Parts: sequence; structure tokens; C-alpha cells
Amino acid sequence: MAQPLVKKDDDRDDEEYSPFLGIEKGAVLQEARVFNDPQLDARRCSQVITKLLYLLNQGETFTKVEATEVFFSVTKLFQSRDIGLRRMVYLIIKELSPSADEVIIVTSSLMKDMNSKTDMYRANAIRVLCRITDGTLLTQIERYLKQAIVDKNPVVASAALVSGIHLLQTNPEIVKRWSNEVQEAVQSRAALVQFHALALLHQIRQNDRLAVSKLVTSLTRGTVRSPLAQCLLIRYTSQVIRESGNAQAGDRPFYDYLEACLRHKAEMVILEAARAITELHGVTPRELTPAITVLQLFLSSSKPVLRFAAVAMTHPVPVTNCNIDMESLISDQNRSIATLAITTLLKTGNESSVDRLMKQITNFMSDIADEFKIVVVEAIRSLCLKFPLKFRALMNFLSNILREEGGFEYKKAIVDSIVILIRDIPDAKESGLLHLCEFIEDCEFTYLSTQILHFLGIEGPKTSDPSKYIRYIYNRVHLENATVRASAVSTLAKFGAMVDSLKPRVFILLRRCLFDSDDEVRDRATLYLNTLGGDGSVVETDNDVKDFLFGSLDVPLVNLETSLKNYEASEEPFDINSVPKEVKSQPLAEKKAQSKKPTGLGAPPTGPASTVAAYETLLSSIPEFSNFGKLFKSSAPVELTEPETEYAVNVVKHIFDSHVVFQYNCTNTIPEQLLEDVIVVVDASEAEEFSEVASRSLRSLPYDTPGQTFLAFEKPEGVPAVGKFTNLLRFIVKEVDPTTGEAEEDGVEDEYQLEDLEVVAADYILKVPVFNFKNAWDSMGADFERVDEYGLGPRENLTEAVNAVINLLGMQPCEGTEVVASNSRSHTCVLSGVYIGNVKVLVRLLFGIDSSSKEVAMKLTVRSEDGAVSDAIHEIVASG
Amino acid sequence: MILAVLFANSEGNILVERFNGVPAEERLHWRSFLVKLGADNLRGVKNEELLVACHKSVYIVYTVLGDVSIYVVGKDEYDELALSEVIFVITSAVKDVCGKPPTERLFLDKYGRICLCLDEIVWKGLLENTEKDRIKRLIRLKPPTEF
Repeated sequence: MAQPLVKKDDDRDDEEYSPFLGIEKGAVLQEARVFNDPQLDARRCSQVITKLLYLLNQGETFTKVEATEVFFSVTKLFQSRDIGLRRMVYLIIKELSPSADEVIIVTSSLMKDMNSKTDMYRANAIRVLCRITDGTLLTQIERYLKQAIVDKNPVVASAALVSGIHLLQTNPEIVKRWSNEVQEAVQSRAALVQFHALALLHQIRQNDRLAVSKLVTSLTRGTVRSPLAQCLLIRYTSQVIRESGNAQAGDRPFYDYLEACLRHKAEMVILEAARAITELHGVTPRELTPAITVLQLFLSSSKPVLRFAAVAMTHPVPVTNCNIDMESLISDQNRSIATLAITTLLKTGNESSVDRLMKQITNFMSDIADEFKIVVVEAIRSLCLKFPLKFRALMNFLSNILREEGGFEYKKAIVDSIVILIRDIPDAKESGLLHLCEFIEDCEFTYLSTQILHFLGIEGPKTSDPSKYIRYIYNRVHLENATVRASAVSTLAKFGAMVDSLKPRVFILLRRCLFDSDDEVRDRATLYLNTLGGDGSVVETDNDVKDFLFGSLDVPLVNLETSLKNYEASEEPFDINSVPKEVKSQPLAEKKAQSKKPTGLGAPPTGPASTVAAYETLLSSIPEFSNFGKLFKSSAPVELTEPETEYAVNVVKHIFDSHVVFQYNCTNTIPEQLLEDVIVVVDASEAEEFSEVASRSLRSLPYDTPGQTFLAFEKPEGVPAVGKFTNLLRFIVKEVDPTTGEAEEDGVEDEYQLEDLEVVAADYILKVPVFNFKNAWDSMGADFERVDEYGLGPRENLTEAVNAVINLLGMQPCEGTEVVASNSRSHTCVLSGVYIGNVKVLVRLLFGIDSSSKEVAMKLTVRSEDGAVSDAIHEIVASG
Repeated sequence: MILAVLFANSEGNILVERFNGVPAEERLHWRSFLVKLGADNLRGVKNEELLVACHKSVYIVYTVLGDVSIYVVGKDEYDELALSEVIFVITSAVKDVCGKPPTERLFLDKYGRICLCLDEIVWKGLLENTEKDRIKRLIRLKPPTEF
């Protein structure tokens, strides 16, 4: 490269000139030819490698041909004796990550280095080989790697151990054979070797609880030489504590070790131990105290990382003692800490602190990036659902930030939150809808505008004064792009169809849309005018028409999309009845990837209501079940198999008025098998009131693709019948060739025993929250009130008793009363729900515990709209 | 897993970018997110003062050293505490190679050495070496002194 003329004493220019100025891939690849020189210039070669590294580190990529060419030239450099160059060669080979057929060129050189007398050649050769090796080569070098793990030189040992951690992902069988050597390395005097060995040994043995427990027991008593290893050990210890499930206060295993770590000299270890203690299951205040003390110290540390870690750790437990320290962090210089402090306070704070917090947040929002604002918005959304009475302040906050500048994701998060609040808090509906209307008046995101218009179409007509939304909607027809205009036309039509008094005026507006410049907008307007009866008369729209225009499509959208793509334009029109209605089972990975967060507008919400809707669609698409009437409740999936067994089966109980449908979700976890004609055979001899009426088998269950089979039972109408069912999975199994993925022709019939399933009283009660329990209780009145007292026997503490009753009744705890203050001797819990037959039920539970005998007594007061239902609730408790 | 180690100059241009286990299509997003994070927060920050952030269950610890800003991104066991250890090793190794908190020019002059140091410190997402003196010897293929 041409060097510009620079005077040596001219420091400024010197500073500004980059050695890589004007670097260009083609030129560097040309320069790489020096690697082929018979007389190697080590210095020059190193410089060229540096340039290659610079290109790679900037995100530049080499084509296959370029990479191969460079790789082959680089291998020539093994001839050089220059140590600096050799080190560079190791690095660039790793960076180029050659393909399997090229690796062979360097294998012999690297194998030679691996047996070299120079330790550092050994260490580096191990790392390079492990990076580029495949299974077959690994078996050849395994012997050397095992030796290297116990090598005297810590660098060699570490290189082999870290390689082991990587190789465990690809060749677990081989690495597992090294456990004796790794075990020896755990005892190494070199701090880092011990750290790496501990990590590897734990990974090798992670599925063997006993071995992990032994490892932890021996190391917590022995010497751990580095803070990093100590942190690992603390993590493994908490895992052992969790799995041992011994929640007996006072003699919790390893607590003393964790507590001793709080006095370690490394901050990292102290924080890790504090985290482990705060996350202990059923931690007592006495156990928590020392951890809280150190966390409080760290909250005011001068180092941001420590402050951040301390705030993050107060997340899992309501550590209210720290709240005061944390409020000062809202003004922390480091905005990430401030964000975390705010969201923590929002989660742990009580209702009275909401207003004060909101004020502080308002000042702070303008300082942070969109990503962090989204976190705050999500925290506010859950806060609002927790304290619904505070919705005014929170909704105002959301609408204010909605008006400010922000990117799409941020705006979407706000809109989603408002939508969820409108859905869940009836009082928030009207103000929320108006905020959304105002937002679409000046919204730059087409996606959000169309989604809001759609939502307005559903919710708007149900409000007290639907006409006030029309102006906002019709404005869209004038001011927006075609997509939004088309949505607005649909929304207008919905108002027209649902609100008869508005119909004539809506039709006038729709007629104006007939002159729109866009086809879709005109088409929609024409369709609506014709089907809704555009003569302007005030008549009720036919239900069939409403269904046709605004009802759900009745077929899964994915199926519709596929069918439309496969449809070839011809004389024959597309027939929607040809679209298959069966929901194609999703691959497992996709299901796992689905977000658990509540979604607002976009996808169908994943909240309980929508799950029911999804189940409803699924069940109604099966002809055998289509006449069962309205689905009352679907339970959460109940696992019928242990985790990590060959077949994973869980069941969802769908309750109808006079039927119960079991939906068995089956997953085949064996790649070499294909299951066919899968059905669950049920013995209902312990469920006398149930008789089997229909079943639907699963035709094929390939590996890792869940599928469903169904069984339906009849039961007496409206009666909460209970019973126990034994289940047996029956199927035909066919071998699958793993290389081709093809199954054999013939299969063998086989069976697999599943766990029993019970239908219990709680299955007949829907969890339906009320937002002001006292109001609901008072307005329900005492007409059908039933009161009785029960002894619940000795219990560990009140929390256990409260949870047991909540689970037994399957009702929704209200106003956070399911949480019992620690050490309290009495507690009131209020529940609400809907009993089968759509009868509202409210329950007030009063608990008391005797401090010496631990006997728990409970007073149960039930109010409902029907005396028989109040009695039934008492019966459930009495027989539970 | 240490997902990324990134060095940028004061204008936000990338000097070194090493990802582990991050899909290629997400890298650009991370690059711009980190650079923006630095632009928003690093002004006026003292050398080696650590800043921290967390985004989508991923932790980020970052700092300034001379003209260069350094970002380390991790998840799972590499939380903010472990990352602060990682970045401490990186900053001390870079200072050691450059002899002082580097100017951009000095950093680029020592580019090859710095790459070797990074290779010794982070290996495919795992922390391997933590002492600057040992690293200094290792990049010259010399065995550690305590051995």
C-alpha cells in the first residue's frame, strides 16, 4: 500500500492516519500470495494476516473460493519457525473455519503440533483442531485430549477442557468418556483449570442428580480457587437445593455454605450467593435477612454493574425493605439501572405508591431509548391489571406517551397495552377507545392504523354512544393511504350493521367511498352496500349477512393461504369449502418459540379467553362434537407422562353442558419411529356418570410434530359430575430410516400406559375476575349466602392452606389476596368465578392458624345467584 | 454464552466485531443497538467505568478506553457480573498491549496483537483466560510464568 508522506514530528496527522485506510478485500487477497513465497517473510505475512483479520472482524465475508484459496496458502506458513507468525496462523485458521474436505490439509500439521514438546503448540493445536474437527477425526485425537486434560501446564489443560465444553454439544458420547480425567482436573491447583473442569463436569453429569449432588457436597467442603468457579458452585448448589425440594425451615441443606459466601472477598461471589438465597423456595425472613443486608449495600455501590445486579436481584422477591434505596436509583446516571429500578418498583410497590411513581416516570421517559421504554410500558400494563382501580392514571400516562415521538415497536407496545386494558377493564373501554381514535388521527404506521380500525369495529358499536367514533373513522377515508382507507370502510360498515340507528347515515358515507381511486376500497364499499341493504331503510341486518361479512372464516388462515396459493386461475371459481378445516399440528419448536407475553392487536391474544376461542374453533371443526353446544371451560393441559419419556402426552378437559371432551395432545420424541392410528383407550369404571359417545383417532404422529386425539363422554346435563379415568395410549409403530426419513411399510401394534386423569369439581368453575370485589359482593346481596366453618388439619403455614383451597375450588383470587404476609396467623382471601350454567359465584375465605399445633381453621362464606350453587361450593370444600 | 465482543471508535465505526451464536441476520441489529447505546450513554464517562444494560434477556456491559468503546454481550451464565469480569480482562489486556488507553490509531497499530488477546480471552463464547500477564505470554506462545 502506498504510504502518504508524513513528517515524523507531526503527531496530529499521525494520529488520524489509519493503518487500514482504504483497505480493500481484493487487494488483501492479492497480498496473501506472499504466503506462497519460497522465502517466507514472517513479518510481512503477519501483517497480511492482520489485514485479513481486520476484514473479517468488520463483518466482511469471503466467498467459498476466496476462503479456500487463502486457507491453502495459510497452511504453507506451518513451515515457518517464527513463533509470532505461528500464533497468527492458529488464529486465522479458526477464523476462516475451513470446510470438512479442506481440513485434511492441516490435520497432520496440527497433529504434529499436538504432540510437540512445546506446550504452547499443544494448547493451540488442541483449540484449532477442536474448532475444525468432525466426529471421525475426534476419535483419532481423543487419546491426546484425555492426556491434555490432566496436563501439568494449566494452559494445555484449560484448552482441552474448554474444547470439551464445545464438543459436548456435537459429540456428547465421546466427551462423556472423559469424566475421570475431568474429575481429576476439578482438583487442580490452577484456578482456571478448576473453573473450566467444574463447568464441563457439571455439563457431563447434569442429568444425574445424585452425581451433581455429590459434586456439590464435596466442593462446598473443599477449596475452590477462583471467584468464577465459586459462582458456578453456588449456582449448582441452588439447583441441588431446588431439586431436593426440602423446604423445612431451619435445616435447609447448604444454606450455611450460601450464607458463608456472602462474606467472600469477591463481589461477584457475594451477589451470586445473595441471588441464590433470595430465590430459595419458601425462603424465611430469617434466611433472607443477611442477603437483604448485602443487597442494600450494593444498591448504593459506586459501581454501576453492582447496582444493576442488586436491583435485578430484588425482582423475584417483594423485598420491600429495599424500596427506599431503590427509589433513589430512579435518577441513576446509568439509564438501564434507572429503568430496572422503575420496573422493579412497579412490580413490588403497592397501590398507594402508584401515583408517586407515575410522576417520576413521566420525567424520565424522554431520556431513554425505545427499547427500554417498551419495558416500562409492559410493566405499567401489568400494574394496571393488578390494580384496576388505578386505570385512570395509568391510561392517561399511556395516552400521553402515545402522543410523543417514538418508533413502531414502542408505539405498538403502547397500543397493545391500551387494547388489553380495554378488554380486561370494562370501565376503561370508552376512554381507551377515544385515545386510540386520537392516535389514528396522526399515525404514521399503516399497520397500527388498520389494527386499531379493526378493533374499533368490534368494540365501538357496543359502547353507549357509537356515533362519536364515526368522525374519526371517516376521516381516514379522506386522509390516508389505500390500505387504511379500505380498513376504514370495513369499520364503517360494521357500525352500520351493528347499530341500526346509524345505518342510514353510514350508508351515505359508504356511497361516497364508491368513487375512491383504489379498487379495493371501491369493492368493499360496493359489497357492504349491497349485502347490508343499501336502500337506506332502518332495518335490522340479517344475522346471516352479519356472519358472512364479519364472522370468522371458519377455516384456519394458514390452510386458506395454502389453498389460495395452490389455486390456479380457471373457469372454476375458488371454493372456500374446499379448504381443509383441520388444524395442522405445529412442529414443536415453533410452539416453543411462541411468545408467552400477552399480545394486543396483532395475533389473536393468548389470554385465557382467546385460548377458549381457539379450542372452540378446533372442536367445532370436528363433526362428532359440533352438536355439543357452547364450550363452558377448557382446563389447562394436565401431563399424563413423565418429562423426557418416549411419548409426551397431556390432556385438556373441555367441559360442555352435558358432555366432556378429552383432547390428548401427543408428541412422539423418537426420531426413528412413526406412530399411526393413535388413540387413547380409557377405562371409565371409576367415573360412573360418564359414558363414552365418540372418539377421534390421530392418523399419523411423526417425530416431534404434536398431534391430537379426542374422546367424548356424555354426562347428566348441568351436573358437575366427577370421576377418575385410566388411560392407555394405543398405536401402530413403524420404524423410520433416519438417513432417508422414510418409514417402513409394516408396523407393529403397541401400547403405552399413561397416568390417570380426574375430572374434579373445579373443572366446572370458570376463573372470572371481578375488579372491585366489595362492590360485587354487596350488589350480589345475601339472598343465597351460605356460611360454614371447616378444619383443614395441620399445615406448614397459611400460604399452603390458602393455595390448597384456591386449587380445590378453581376460582380466581381477587385483589392479590392469594398472597399471605409471612408469619401472619390469620388471612382473608376473596375469590370469584362462574359456575356451570353461567351462575356468578363469590367466595370469602377467612383463615386462622394455631401457632403451636399448626391446625388451620377456615370460615367459608359463599354468595351466588342461585342457592343450589352456593350449596355446591360448600359441598366441594366439605368433600375435598 | 458470551454472544458478542465489539469495539467501536468514537464515531461509532466498528473496529472489531466478534459474534458467537448470533444468527447473521441479527448481527446488524445488535451492532446498531450497541453503537446507539454507547452514543446515548458513554459521553463523559471515565476510562474503564462500566455501564450496564439489559435487553431481551441479554446482558450488556460496556465502557470506554481511550478513543475506543468496548461492548460485551452475554446471556445465561454470562450475566452482568460475569461480563464485568470479561470486560475487565479485555480492557487490561488492551491497555497492556498498547501501553496506555489507546487512541484509535494506536489501537489499529496493535490490531493483530489485540486480536490474539481476544482469542485467548474469549473462545467461541466462553471465557478462557483472565490474567493479563498470562495472556501477554500466551500470545507470544510462551508458557505462563506460574508453570
